[in-house]
Amino acid sequence: MTTEVQVPDIGAFDDVPIIEVHVKAGDRVNEEDPLITLESDKATMDVPAPVAGQVVEIPVKIGDRVSTGSLILTIDPGDGAVEAPPTLVEQQEPETPTEAGVPDGAHVSVVTDGVVEVAGIVESGAAGSVQAVATAGPAADFTGVHTGPSVRRTARELGVDLTAVTGSGPKGRITKDDLLAYLRGPSPASPPVRGAAAGTGIPEIPAQDFAQFGPVETRPLSRIRKLSGTYLHRSWLNVPHVTHHDEADITLLDAYRRELDAAARPDGYRVTLLAFLLKASVSGLKRFPEFNSSLSPEKDSLIVKGYYHLGVAVDTPEGLVVPVIRDVERKGIVELSQELGAVSARARDGKLAVADLQGGTFTISSLGGIGGVAFTPIVNAPEVAILGVVRSATKPVWNGEEFIPRLMLPLSLSYDHRVIDGALAARFVKHLSHVLEDPRRLIL
Amino acid sequence: MAEIESPAASGDVHAGMLVLGAGPGGYTAAFRAADLGQSVVLADQRPALGGVCLNVGCIPSKALLHAARVIAETREMAAHGVRFGDPDIDLDALRGWKDGVVSRLTGGLAGLARQRKVTTLRGTGRFVAANLAEVTAADGSVTTVSFASAIIAAGSSAVRLPFMPDDDPRVLDSTGALDLASVPGRLLVIGGGIIGLEMAAVYHELGARVTVVELMDQLIPGADRDIVAPLAKRIKSRYENIYLTTKVTGAEAGADPDAGKDAGKDAGRDAGRDAGTGTGGLRVSFDGPGAPDHDVFDQVLVAVGRVPNGRLVGAENAGVLVDDRGYIPVDKQQRTNVPHIFAIGDVVGPPMLAHKATHEGRVAAEVAAGQRSYFDARVIPSVAYTDPEVAWAGVTETEARAAGVPYGKGVFPWAASGRALSLGRDEGLTKLLFDPASKRLIGAGLVGPNAGELVAETAHAIEMGADAADIALTIHPHPTLSETVGLSAEAFEGTITDLYLPKKKK
Repeated sequence: MTTEVQVPDIGAFDDVPIIEVHVKAGDRVNEEDPLITLESDKATMDVPAPVAGQVVEIPVKIGDRVSTGSLILTIDPGDGAVEAPPTLVEQQEPETPTEAGVPDGAHVSVVTDGVVEVAGIVESGAAGSVQAVATAGPAADFTGVHTGPSVRRTARELGVDLTAVTGSGPKGRITKDDLLAYLRGPSPASPPVRGAAAGTGIPEIPAQDFAQFGPVETRPLSRIRKLSGTYLHRSWLNVPHVTHHDEADITLLDAYRRELDAAARPDGYRVTLLAFLLKASVSGLKRFPEFNSSLSPEKDSLIVKGYYHLGVAVDTPEGLVVPVIRDVERKGIVELSQELGAVSARARDGKLAVADLQGGTFTISSLGGIGGVAFTPIVNAPEVAILGVVRSATKPVWNGEEFIPRLMLPLSLSYDHRVIDGALAARFVKHLSHVLEDPRRLIL
Repeated sequence: MAEIESPAASGDVHAGMLVLGAGPGGYTAAFRAADLGQSVVLADQRPALGGVCLNVGCIPSKALLHAARVIAETREMAAHGVRFGDPDIDLDALRGWKDGVVSRLTGGLAGLARQRKVTTLRGTGRFVAANLAEVTAADGSVTTVSFASAIIAAGSSAVRLPFMPDDDPRVLDSTGALDLASVPGRLLVIGGGIIGLEMAAVYHELGARVTVVELMDQLIPGADRDIVAPLAKRIKSRYENIYLTTKVTGAEAGADPDAGKDAGKDAGRDAGRDAGTGTGGLRVSFDGPGAPDHDVFDQVLVAVGRVPNGRLVGAENAGVLVDDRGYIPVDKQQRTNVPHIFAIGDVVGPPMLAHKATHEGRVAAEVAAGQRSYFDARVIPSVAYTDPEVAWAGVTETEARAAGVPYGKGVFPWAASGRALSLGRDEGLTKLLFDPASKRLIGAGLVGPNAGELVAETAHAIEMGADAADIALTIHPHPTLSETVGLSAEAFEGTITDLYLPKKKK
């Protein structure tokens, strides 16, 4: 009668920490209400309730690490009537420590009609004991652990065995920060900014009291901005960047695009230049496989990928995210356009799943709608190249006899110079231009 | 699983949380549960909240002990040039003040209960099933309470000696002694523990001649001998007799059970004293070195300990285990063997102290509300509010020796404390015990005026894992008695300058 809720497919990530638990035992939830929030390298992800009902038991807590298929909680779908008490018994029966032997009656008597009614009326009370029972385990002995009462209490709340925590305070004293660090686990991703900066010996920018020069306001960075900041900084420091600029004549392509777009509007999607850029990039990646690769961790070999998953940088109110369009080489312009529309909408709504952000081999960052003549995008490491495009403009182009107006699209390709040389980059961009100049070449 | 006969489907009252007993642990648990959103019913047989502690224990005894101390100090100041007349003691007024202190506190509790919408039921609570209890009022009327969770906070009762005459008004327990019906000429206190010695102090200053008899070979068994010694020395010279290692083997009433009481009440202290030599007293026989075979007393206070009330709550009807001594075993979350029933305070085990019960009560209420609380306190300080006060926390030297726990010691005699001397008291002692490896404080024992206030710092230091240097380097205000804590740590560290200690030889 209860539904087990498990972690859905979250892609290749294992041991993802739970950073928030939105419900507690006894809560009533509606379908799609968020139950817990997971944090992966790049995004947070809510696990929604698959059905409406009452939360019966939550065996997980903040800080627990879960993988696809891990049990998160059980929901009693019920039919509106609260039915807590039977679970009180069901939950405790198999696991209640009964050292001294409980008379059978102790459990049986719990299932009287009276109890059902009481618990129904006093929902929180009954539910409280359900959860308490469910979470009870053998209590760790904190005797001899060097820490104060407040940290001991926090450890109890978080279910941390303090005897396993290393103290960083004076004389090995366990501080609250030690507890939180222990909870986060030995994650290499957690202190990357410090690692990158410290490892390169780059001096910190000195702090300044800006308020002495005029009024200031401190606004906390969004989650996404903090996370992406870490990645961009790491890439900027680790990857020797070079950016190659060129232009593609997309006069014909744009005319073709407009036709397709006009035809697509009644069907509720738009055909943008981005779909063509994806196809053109795949063409380039196939011809120049170095661009569809990553440097091995030992930096002594190149890992060339046999798949073409392309990231598309999307500007959202919360910051920059890069959803990945998979298997671009197998998709046509129409399919890609529809997928781009859907994924952009999800990105702006903050509803991207972890899997949406993984597995990219090459990235496109388009500022097309806004303007500019060129820019230097930062490679989305461990990818080795990123294509930046800005707004196309009609320019006079010399055809050998006269200047003719052509619609020109600026292309800016940043690449990891450890993997790609300038001549190769120039050839890659030349190829892109060639393909983009005549849409027929896209299908070659 | 067998069917069990089901009681009424629901009680007259429904409670998310039922708390049996409104002592310090019970009312704390009830208030915390209410603050965590539970609907709470708090049942107690007394008309006022607060249990033994507020009504007939800690609080009224402190009021009387304050009176006793004022009397003692006025007398002692005579030697220092400030002379008062003999005190004119109006027992009714003194009792009235004491009762006023109590009712002010219990009235405050009633207000706190109202503000939290805690339902209070007056009567004796008993379980009738795992989720049903009944509360029987003094008039026999029964209210049934169905509950989702319950906390047993039923406390303890004074131990009665089987050979003491029943229903004799001259045989008192602590409750009777606090009633202060009269001041006897000669008072025998059976039990040299905290309760017995506190009441001995009160009655001594009110004019009774006091004899204390203790089964063990020291007063306040449980505290270190050196900490008790200044108290023992002081009362030995003031009380009539102190018999250690002595057993009371019998007692019989004299001809007129009321003679001694009336004499004491009507004629005050002088008449009371005379009554002790009369024939109307209680003839008590002893067995111990230094004690006479028998002696006659006007009143006898029995303070030989307290027994848990675990068998008085119908625990078996709820499936809750009670051990053969009457304690209810619980885990570190105060949970009994029945997961939705908790127990706290005296009824779960010693030490039977209000401040232990209040902390346990909070844990039980929080766990019942789904929080992950544990009773993780490292030390539960003990205080005897005698004169001088005796207080200790953590490991005692006696325990450390018995358990083979290594320890280092820092001692500061109050004879070197300016503050103690200016109070006219030089017998105090502060002793700190440290783990020799980590130098962390593991135990403390103090004796002297206000030792009970000073022990709090040591308990905090132990909870925080403070070591000797942490305590010694904390600036204690001068001149205070609290300095003796810092100075004891200095003594352990070897950095003290207020004493000369020969260098430690390693």
